[in-house]
Amino acid sequence: MSTTTTPTPNITDPSLYLDGIPHERFAEIRNADGLMWHDYHDGGFWVVSRHADVKTVSKDGKTFSSAVGMTNLWDLEADAIEARRSLIDSDAPDHTRLRRLVARAFTPKNIRRWESTVRDITVELLDAYVAKGEGDFVAEVAAPLPIRVILTMLGVPVEDAGYLVELSNFLVEGTGDTQSIPPDAFGNTTPLRLLPFNSPASHALFEYGEKIGDLRRADPQDDLVTSLVQAEADDGDRLSGSEYRNLFHLLVFAGNETTRTGLSHGAIALADHPEQWQRVLDDSAMVETATEEILRWSTPVLHMRRTTTAPVELGGTHLDAGEKVVMWYASANHDERVFANPHTFDVGRTENPHFSFGGGGPHTCLGAFLARLEVAVLLEEMAARKMHLTRLGEPVRVPSNFVHGVLSVDMAVEARS
Amino acid sequence: MSDEQTEMVLVTVDEEKCIGAGQCEMLEEDTFYVDDDTVIAKVIGTGMLERSRANLIVETCPSQAISIVEASAQESPVGDAQEDSGAEEADPS
Ligand code: HEM
Ligand code: SF4
Repeated sequence: MSTTTTPTPNITDPSLYLDGIPHERFAEIRNADGLMWHDYHDGGFWVVSRHADVKTVSKDGKTFSSAVGMTNLWDLEADAIEARRSLIDSDAPDHTRLRRLVARAFTPKNIRRWESTVRDITVELLDAYVAKGEGDFVAEVAAPLPIRVILTMLGVPVEDAGYLVELSNFLVEGTGDTQSIPPDAFGNTTPLRLLPFNSPASHALFEYGEKIGDLRRADPQDDLVTSLVQAEADDGDRLSGSEYRNLFHLLVFAGNETTRTGLSHGAIALADHPEQWQRVLDDSAMVETATEEILRWSTPVLHMRRTTTAPVELGGTHLDAGEKVVMWYASANHDERVFANPHTFDVGRTENPHFSFGGGGPHTCLGAFLARLEVAVLLEEMAARKMHLTRLGEPVRVPSNFVHGVLSVDMAVEARS
Repeated sequence: MSDEQTEMVLVTVDEEKCIGAGQCEMLEEDTFYVDDDTVIAKVIGTGMLERSRANLIVETCPSQAISIVEASAQESPVGDAQEDSGAEEADPS
């Protein structure tokens, strides 16, 4: 058993990610003995960087709690934890109860029913993009696609999509160092530390969720918001008001920012590796493996945190109860023990057990099959148009150690069909 | 040990643990069904699968709700059977 404490590899500095994932640093950490300790503000955490260790932590929600210290890098005070808690920050049995309330809509079988919706939206966006001939792929395709899909599922009118995209952009800022909006934006009066992502945009999203929840309570529809508010009505303590708000917030944010990031990195990778795009054009059966490779390559969520509830041995290091461990999916997805040539973008990769949706376990991404569907349909429709993307500039990245976000990337687009 | 891998085994779902992710249903529609009301997976049909397939599904279930019902105590314990399943090969996708 050994523990490496020096030198502290700084992987939390948001500005580091302006140049992309710091692969060399992660490789060093992965290949050191045991787990590496990382200082962070007044505390610190264990860096879980290897694929196998991420899997162990993910699958054992009892020893590695999501509820105790929640899933963010930073620690929160008790009142903030309670105010912000949602599905992703709970343990069984609360987690099981909340998860089942939304799980039905997201099973692979039920997600398949949304394929034509996803396709219609994709076609509309791609045709408009091709007609323009060039533009920012994020703004034209990657951002509107997932938000329009999740809003359709929730039952939110499409006219409000623009507003919710804007709110989501502000939330992402909250994971970096700067906020471009004042604490009282959107009429917020709640202390920021009680709000998800410390952002006043969360207040606006809560308000919006409540407004539409009220509408559906009065006039139920066949949509996700209705099923959430009905679960709330059925039995007072099944879904509390705060749980509803946080769940609405989580669905809008998680279904949106992450998929956008995956689609954006996918487009960049295909533009930068035309020979890989040609393989997809030549063989439509390649869409499935290409989808998984884009998900691995993009790793939209860079990490998630857990807190130990009991002493445990992990990756050759002894941990006490109450210790913070942070799983770096960005590292696990490039672990040379699992992936052949991890730094090669290979749309035909068959052994690809990536952890972009988490390392398995109860918190496994609820929207994984929806996100896969969106990536796959985008590839199919791009291939149907024999679309070629050429980069006109460098992508502008989000300075964040949490989302591997792309703010914008200018491209020329040509359909050769 | 291909005999052991192709042997038929009975699978079961722990209702307390199931989170309704539906991965079992996607992989084996004839054996698992996620109930629309409870959002809990049920075993349908005979509930029998080849051991290698059962191992894959046990491994894929995100909440470790599925297990193999061992026929007799003389057989290797479930834990060993899972270790042999080659966890890394079980592609959750
Ligand atoms: C490419 C797109 C996406 C990526 C990379 C992604 C990634 C993740 C990750 C890493 C987790 C945490 C897993 C863990 O802690 O073990 C997660 C959880 C979650 N995701 Fe996604 N996600 C994506 C799309 C979506 C979509 C489309 C939705 C849809 C609504 C969604 C909803 C959720 C929810 C609700 C959780 C919390 C689940 C729980 O705690 O039980 N995600 N996602
Ligand atoms: S895969 Fe596991 S959690 Fe998902 S429905 Fe089947 S038994 Fe339940």
